[in-house]
Amino acid sequence: MTRRPRGIALALVLAWLVVYPLALVTVDALRDQGAWSFAHVQAFVREPREWQALWASVWISVASVALAGAIGIPLAFVFERLEFPGRRLLGALVALPAVLPPLVGVIAFLFLYGESGFVARTVTRLFGLASAPWRLQGAGAILLVHAYSMYVYFYLFARAGLARVDRSMLEAAESLGAGRWDGLRRVTLPLLRPQLVAAALLTFMTSLGSFSAPYVFGGGFRVMTTQIVATKLNGDLGLAMVQTVALAAVALVGLAALRRTQGGRSVAVVGKGTAPAARELHQPLARWGAAVVGWAFAAVLLLPHATLVLVSFVPIGTWTTELFPPAYSLGNYGALLRDPERLRPLLNSVWMAAAATVGTVVLALWAGRLIVQRRAQFGRTIETLTTVPWAVPGTVLAIALATVFSARQPWIGRWVLVGTAAILPLAYLVRNLPITAGSVLAGFRQLDPSLDEAAASLGAGRTRTLVRVTMPILRPAILAGAALAFATALGDFVTSIVLYTFETRPISIEILGALRQFDLGTAAAYGVILMLISAAAMAVGTRR
Amino acid sequence: MAAGLVLSACQRDGRTPLVIYSPHGRDLLALAERTFEAQRPDIDVRWLDMGSQDVLDRIRSERANPQADVWFGGPAMLFQRAVADSLLTPFTPSWAEHVPARSRGPNDLYVAAYETPAVIAYNTAALAPEQAPQDWEEVLTPRWRGQVVIRDPLASGTMRAIFGMAVLRSLRQTGDTAAGFVWLRRLDGQTREYVLNPALLHQKLIRQEGLISLWDLPDILIESSKGQPLGFTLPTSGTPVIEDAIALVRGTPHPEAARAFIEWVGSVAGQLLAAREVYRLPARQDLPADSLPDWVREVRARLVVEPMEWDRLATDGNAWMAYWDRNVRGRGARR
Repeated sequence: MTRRPRGIALALVLAWLVVYPLALVTVDALRDQGAWSFAHVQAFVREPREWQALWASVWISVASVALAGAIGIPLAFVFERLEFPGRRLLGALVALPAVLPPLVGVIAFLFLYGESGFVARTVTRLFGLASAPWRLQGAGAILLVHAYSMYVYFYLFARAGLARVDRSMLEAAESLGAGRWDGLRRVTLPLLRPQLVAAALLTFMTSLGSFSAPYVFGGGFRVMTTQIVATKLNGDLGLAMVQTVALAAVALVGLAALRRTQGGRSVAVVGKGTAPAARELHQPLARWGAAVVGWAFAAVLLLPHATLVLVSFVPIGTWTTELFPPAYSLGNYGALLRDPERLRPLLNSVWMAAAATVGTVVLALWAGRLIVQRRAQFGRTIETLTTVPWAVPGTVLAIALATVFSARQPWIGRWVLVGTAAILPLAYLVRNLPITAGSVLAGFRQLDPSLDEAAASLGAGRTRTLVRVTMPILRPAILAGAALAFATALGDFVTSIVLYTFETRPISIEILGALRQFDLGTAAAYGVILMLISAAAMAVGTRR
Repeated sequence: MAAGLVLSACQRDGRTPLVIYSPHGRDLLALAERTFEAQRPDIDVRWLDMGSQDVLDRIRSERANPQADVWFGGPAMLFQRAVADSLLTPFTPSWAEHVPARSRGPNDLYVAAYETPAVIAYNTAALAPEQAPQDWEEVLTPRWRGQVVIRDPLASGTMRAIFGMAVLRSLRQTGDTAAGFVWLRRLDGQTREYVLNPALLHQKLIRQEGLISLWDLPDILIESSKGQPLGFTLPTSGTPVIEDAIALVRGTPHPEAARAFIEWVGSVAGQLLAAREVYRLPARQDLPADSLPDWVREVRARLVVEPMEWDRLATDGNAWMAYWDRNVRGRGARR
């Protein structure tokens, strides 16, 4: 096989999974009662509130990127480059916000920082206030949740990148008279650029499509995702589709802008040396100072998890106006493990997330090999296609997939998958493609092409090179991408709610059900289990 | 993946699976599952609990491969939309003649099983019964400013009915919707927060983040029977009573089991069980008064039913809610 048809095959598969559903949504936006019409578009354009919501989505996302980067990048440097007591454990703990599924995380924030949450009530009592000193609402609350849950992208990607920065390059810079700051600015950051851009991309797109936080904390503050759901709930599907297309358009512009900064000169790491060893802090004051600050930071980061664990022990309906719940028991976990019907969502989530992750990694490796190593003709197209799913809010992607796969027309690539066990893993796969592909592609970009050539010159075949040379070097990138994808799929809420069936209902749907029943303890117990599985996956993903 | 497939294969035990989509909640659904399965050991009842608007969306998107057999619960105006989209199959259960004619859909595409009155809910730990607002107007008094929490009205059939009532009253009295939206704007000024789902609403009320809410009767009764400090008043000027319908989904894989279930829900035993255990007001009007629990008699004695133009609400309700969402929500305080 020559390289050209291969590029076409992957491009077609991705177009079918990514572009085709969106095209159908766009067609829906331009149709009204079976005829072509601009009525919905006009309704959108003339309404100033729609523009306000769109603008809110954009600036919230930009601010989220700035905040997440400001937290995540320094953390990555601290944990990758400095040695202090508890570094390994803390380094793993700091990644934990990633294991808090969106819906569960938002609820935990509510228990913690909400008006009647632990923190607000403690402050109220400490200072003898009449009512809670703040309300967890509006843009500030959304940004808080976003910064908290998304700095992990920067942290993990930057760490994966830092681990692959060659010490010899830094030493070379030093010998040329560059100071530490110059080394950072002229050597390390340019080398990290693929990872940082990938992280910024993920953060921007996740914020743009974020739904739980604006819905719970938004109040009167509207962003596009909540606007779409409100419109759809109100039965105006046409307008909802226009709003969707508008949001997708903004996302695509953001995507193009960020991709521009990623392209151009790419810097390869010559893969001979090793990463700089972590610098031991010898001065006791600095040593313990770093440890104390690290632990304090980790404690703040872990508060939502702790809240969740605490609430999971609260028997139903025993906690009202007290500062802390008055009663605790293991009943919630007992009920969950005894009843096979309650255990099933857990097993469903695990196998569906695993299947989706395997599929995503295969596609990402395929794409990486074609784009970076073989410079396939359709490389740019393929890379764009892998990032497009982020340009679509989860709900919309799900609706679009449901539209495509609800008709039996194999000749135009449509099968009935709605209501089968296949559709949710497929949706997770598409949705997580950007995470895994972003990480794997960044890894490929840091590969030294001469290694491939060396393997070839020593007589290794293509497969052998992939398995023996490429994969081991890529392992950190693959594991990081796969772990994030697995954790995301495991806790996915917005896609699942559209596509689940009784047989395949995942854990987030069961959590929603428990929340609907006011069974906060059970919801929290599910959340804790979800968190533990995600944490295990992330531990595997960040281990090198 | 193999484990998942093996697992789902093991679940099939020869019984006919019956899938129910319903907003009625675990209490009622688990009770129905237990009782109905005892009667029909050959049927395996499986229910999914979700908002009634979600039920409509799901049934619509699963049209090509229907997963649900029965849609159990939700205001009749939502069922009307499902009828318009041809998502339901006509079925006349034997008990249909005992519910009021207005509670039956065209061709019996749906029939009401329960009646769900809207009420004013309050925290009983903070307020004595006589302190709570007795009617809708009283909710607007300065005492309750910032004390009202409301379920997000776009997602909720109950809230749509209450908001619709305000607009319909205005139409009746002034011939125009303006007065209704002025009323809703004043309500918005009293409102502390619009809440994501019923669970959070209950929680905020119980934790006294707000003292007052507008919500439905069965939820408040269930929570209070579990020991939560929640009470209700029946508005004296009249309150919307939602007809909570049940229907057979078109293209259902198991029509026989579905019909049997609908028959059971409206049977005397089924209606009494729901009234006694999970506080559902029966839609059937022929049940002997002495076999009904006390609360049904009390509520029926005090309940003033608001005359609602449901058809008007079904046609114009979306436009009203869209207007409210754009021009009223969050603006009442800035009067």
